[in-house]
Amino acid sequence: MSKSLEIEICGVKFKNPIITASGTFGYGIEYARFIDLNRLGGISVKGISLKETKGNKMPRIMETNAGMLNAIGLQNVGVERFINEKLPLLKKYDTRIIVNFWGKSIEEYVEVARILDESEIDMLEMNISCPNIKEGGIAFGTDPKMTYSVVYETKKVIKNKPLIVKLSPNVTDIKLFGKVAEEAGADAISAINTLLGMAINIETQKPYISNITGGLSGPAIKPVAIRMVYELYKTISIPIIGIGGIMNYKDVVEFYLAGASAVQIGTANFVNPEISIQIVKELEDYLKSKSIDKITDLTGKVIV
Amino acid sequence: MKGKVVNNLMLNDKYYLMEIESEEFVSKAKPGHFMMVKAQQYDYLYDPLLRRPFGVCDIERGRFKILYILIGKGTNLLSQVKVGSYIEFSEPLGNTFNFNNEKTVALVGGGVGIAPLLFLAKYLYNQDVLVDLYYGGKTEDDILLIDEFKKYCQHIEVTTENGKVGKKGIVTLPLSENIKKYGKIYACGPKRMLQATSELAIEHNIPVEVSLDERMACGMGACLGCLVYVKNDKGEIEQKRCCVEGPVFDGARIVWE
Ligand SMILES: Cc1cc2nc3c(=O)[nH]c(=O)nc-3n(C[C@H](O)[C@H](O)[C@H](O)COP(=O)(O)OP(=O)(O)OC[C@H]3O[C@@H](n4cnc5c(N)ncnc54)[C@H](O)[C@@H]3O)c2cc1C
Ligand SMILES: Cc1cc2nc3c(=O)[nH]c(=O)nc-3n(C[C@H](O)[C@H](O)[C@H](O)COP(=O)(O)O)c2cc1C
Ligand code: FES
Repeated sequence: MSKSLEIEICGVKFKNPIITASGTFGYGIEYARFIDLNRLGGISVKGISLKETKGNKMPRIMETNAGMLNAIGLQNVGVERFINEKLPLLKKYDTRIIVNFWGKSIEEYVEVARILDESEIDMLEMNISCPNIKEGGIAFGTDPKMTYSVVYETKKVIKNKPLIVKLSPNVTDIKLFGKVAEEAGADAISAINTLLGMAINIETQKPYISNITGGLSGPAIKPVAIRMVYELYKTISIPIIGIGGIMNYKDVVEFYLAGASAVQIGTANFVNPEISIQIVKELEDYLKSKSIDKITDLTGKVIV
Repeated sequence: MKGKVVNNLMLNDKYYLMEIESEEFVSKAKPGHFMMVKAQQYDYLYDPLLRRPFGVCDIERGRFKILYILIGKGTNLLSQVKVGSYIEFSEPLGNTFNFNNEKTVALVGGGVGIAPLLFLAKYLYNQDVLVDLYYGGKTEDDILLIDEFKKYCQHIEVTTENGKVGKKGIVTLPLSENIKKYGKIYACGPKRMLQATSELAIEHNIPVEVSLDERMACGMGACLGCLVYVKNDKGEIEQKRCCVEGPVFDGARIVWE
């Protein structure tokens, strides 16, 4: 593999900037049967909490135009089982492991982070932006004071790993939240999580998803995500990981130009499990054809 | 995987039968498996976005078939695929029907749920099992592939709600009359039919396997969008992914909504 795609975020080296997004790649191992995980830059694992969480009632997903709504409700096996059962299997692969985590209270965020900080993972990704659970989640990501507190308190107990804070797009001014997270000690930002949405079945006249609303993802949200990464890049100085509707290498380049230092691929994994690996290859070819030495040369280079 | 479409036959206003060439797929497919099919042929179109799940209806000499019913965007696009063009699909996914050397079995199907039962009927026939088919539909349009089934089934009972084809009524009626002779029952179709079939089977203490149909995004166990609730040995309710731990489940353990 060529060196043009190698990147470093907060001191962690990645062989390429393509990371699979939390919740769209299970615990990573689900995909091992279908693709070579060694070729991914990194994997962001499904959001982990202190205790096992069962998630929301069915139905939890619905397709919309060029996108999908989901209200999974952060179902996961809990941090202990993750570390004992899932992590050892994932560690067999040569790829960076980022663990997305969340809590219902600041204390829970702090406790999960403390446990994960001692485990064999590469980075932590704090999810303060899930729109699908009542307590915690999005509440922390849409109130700047709470964002500050949860990041600040959690950062205090993290001794060994960089902390990424994943922002919610469901706010009027994302710049504010980027700034607050940075001030509270975040080492990097990832943006964006899903946009709050809804779909109604006109036959039954009921919402398609039992939770009534869900998080919108896929190509439909890309312009919003690009705008937010662009605004964040102008406001903060820590690295930004771009997420939202990436389907091919062109989308990745667009995120880089807007200000990203790496990207995460989400819903596209459902459409084509090999997509992340294909994008790595396509990106290499693109850089070669443009005579660009390093992908990082593109960060924030949009001409306005 | 990619395969050449060698047939995309309109059976009637609602149903199509597509035949696809793929040695690789056929070598792996077992009765009960399904695959995720990309409905659109162009990579830059993202609507519909997700792949669609379909059961393996039949395999033969390097080809497999899917029987599909027109519902919305995805299946309408599929119906327009021209013979000779290529489409993309996953490898065979999910678990398979189980078989423990029962001598006589009943297949119970309705609508498009008949699809995986054809592949199963053929497999069982080749194991020298006596297979009976109970096939229920709303109207005569929902009764398909009977000639195919005749090759592998001893006895076929058809019911429709209007009675134009077969007996009038629902399929669990003729099933309940003969149920004692079966060592096992396999079912696929509308949820209510599967529930009624399972309840009959439980009542008569006959093992029953049903293939469920949940909305799927990934089809490979990652999104947790396709859950089914199943009772374990201790009677506790567990969450199972329809796409990985299913789509075939023990009908006696399912918690029906
Ligand atoms: C394991 C399994 C096997 C299946 N086998 C067959 C088969 O052999 N033949 C057949 O005709 N149909 C089968 N189905 C149902 C089939 O997947 C849906 O009818 C189809 O996805 C509808 O797509 P659409 O784009 O035409 O409809 P739309 O209404 O446009 O679909 C919208 C969204 O809902 C999903 N969806 C809608 N209805 C269903 C449904 N009933 N089940 C699952 N997802 C749904 C679609 O995948 C899509 O994401 C199977 C489903 C499952 C889960
Ligand atoms: C089914 C599903 C589950 C998700 N679960 C999580 C999660 O547990 N934690 C999280 O931070 N984001 C979660 N997300 C959000 C994605 O990581 C990503 O931010 C979002 O989908 C936008 O990217 P995309 O358009 O490429 O999918 C989930 C998304 C989907 C579709
Ligand atoms: S469809 Fe994604 S887990 Fe089953």
